[in-house]
Amino acid sequence: MTLLSTAAAARLAPPRRRPALPPLPVAAALVFVALVIAWSLAPGLFTGHDPVAGVPADKLLGPSLAHWFGTDHLGRDVFARVVFGSASSVTSALIAVVIGVLAGGLIGLVAGFLGGWVDTVLARFVDVLLAIPKFLLAVIVVTAIGFDTINAAIATGVSAVAVFARVMRSEVIKTREATFVEASFLSGGSRWHILARHVLPNASRSVLPLAVLHFGDSILVIASLAFLGYGDPPPASDWGLLISIGKDYPKWPWLVYAPALVTIATVLSVNRISRWLRTTD
Amino acid sequence: MNGAYPTYAAKRLAQAAVVILLAYVFTFVVVSILPGDPITSVLRNPQNGFTEEEIAQIVAAQGLDRPVLVQLWSSLSGFLTGDLGLSMRSSRPVTTMIAEVLPSTLILATSALFLAVVLAVVIAYGTQVVPKRYGQGLLRAFPSLFLSVPNFVIGLVLIHLFGFQLGLFRVINPDSAWATFFAAITLAIPISAQIAEVLIASLDHEAGQDYIAVARGRGLPPFRLFTRHLLKPSSLPVVTVIALTIGELLGGSLITETVFGRTGIGSLVQRSVSTQDLPVLQAVVSLAAVVFVLSNLIADLVYPLLDPRVKLLGARTPRTSAPKPAGATAP
Repeated sequence: MTLLSTAAAARLAPPRRRPALPPLPVAAALVFVALVIAWSLAPGLFTGHDPVAGVPADKLLGPSLAHWFGTDHLGRDVFARVVFGSASSVTSALIAVVIGVLAGGLIGLVAGFLGGWVDTVLARFVDVLLAIPKFLLAVIVVTAIGFDTINAAIATGVSAVAVFARVMRSEVIKTREATFVEASFLSGGSRWHILARHVLPNASRSVLPLAVLHFGDSILVIASLAFLGYGDPPPASDWGLLISIGKDYPKWPWLVYAPALVTIATVLSVNRISRWLRTTD
Repeated sequence: MNGAYPTYAAKRLAQAAVVILLAYVFTFVVVSILPGDPITSVLRNPQNGFTEEEIAQIVAAQGLDRPVLVQLWSSLSGFLTGDLGLSMRSSRPVTTMIAEVLPSTLILATSALFLAVVLAVVIAYGTQVVPKRYGQGLLRAFPSLFLSVPNFVIGLVLIHLFGFQLGLFRVINPDSAWATFFAAITLAIPISAQIAEVLIASLDHEAGQDYIAVARGRGLPPFRLFTRHLLKPSSLPVVTVIALTIGELLGGSLITETVFGRTGIGSLVQRSVSTQDLPVLQAVVSLAAVVFVLSNLIADLVYPLLDPRVKLLGARTPRTSAPKPAGATAP
């Protein structure tokens, strides 16, 4: 009896709230991502150095208290360049994710909800997008629309459309066949009502962790495009571009390691948050 | 199954052919239609120094003065007969240009794939035998860490440590054995992470089965248990993941070859992007799509033969509906 009632209670209870405190690694990840976002919103608050104008006398200094990440070949503070570069790296990753979620989500939603020949046609389209290696796809798109950071972000977003479409489609189909959707339909709910009220909220639950994961992934792809020189030219200081410039000075490894560590820490944090969202939901 | 298999194979084959053709058309649309008229804008770029007559010649030779649909048709029929057109820069056949650099990329990609599988198996083996308090968690975090490091950073760090510090290879001589080895490691690391994630999930599942408990109870040492009983049933999902990562080997070669200064498909793409040599780009991207579709086709055809439990659902449902392998995060 007790067993039964707890089981029943567990099923009837309102959806489990997220634990108030995330585990320590997730908390650290959240703090770091918050810091990076703060860097991109108000870089001036975090460093007193100018990211563009250097002090030639101070060129190629090692990391110290005055210059946390050292200075580059023009005597510019590398920490300042990383902090001021984060705005462009974070914004472009955000643009890429929004494009992927909106375009991919729409394709997946239409395919899953309408089914039939629409589904077949869209499925082939997604197959085509998947067949082209993601990075190569981003490269040809950015070649077609021109080299700058926003275009690199758009290209990265296009290369992510297929994955979102696939996940969205399978979620929509899963929800569409659920009993409560059938009940809503039988009690007179219109297709639009069901779509907006049941299918979308349920599908978004698994799209959200994927979107967060893709934010990290987009940072990597955009950094790679910037590294190859397909983003904004210097004196922009995208993280990938900083690493690309730093590689020409192998005797001063912090020029590579400092921006690389920030990139890795950001992506690692974002991935950890995504995994946490996936397991708590 | 025997009765259903030929139908299944035929349908998958037809589907693969359709996807390859559509991928070609899609690439054609992206490179030649999207941005207005990039071709003449490239040709008229003063840096390229073409005279008006030369431009007219190139436009005529490439057939760029014809309507887009006619261009697409002739380009597509060329593709089907193995003729990939002429480079806009050098006017050499694109097929020859690709054939020249392909061996180098094949060596890099196959050694990277081999290293990735070895690395993934080693990590996955570790997660099964290393006790929790001696760093199993760390091993389990490896795939996630590998996927968080930009590929070019791995390459730069390896060059810095083993090239400059230890002097194992010179960047000036990118085809030496050590340089190839480290380039392959660079390319292998993100791939190994994806294989390891799926392998670990699959091993964890198999390790909970009764027959493993029996084998363990008979006193089988962990290594024998792993090689004789765990690895084979767990490696089936890995076939699918490997097929999915084949395309990434080609995409990743772009970064790796640039960082290590190798010649290959990747550096050909890099060069063609900077000179906007669209026929070459179109050819490489279609080639990558062909490789990806074929490797997935082989995986899908082999899978039911390897695992008789698999029901041939794929014969009806489109491939997009196939569930993503459990851990494959960043595709």
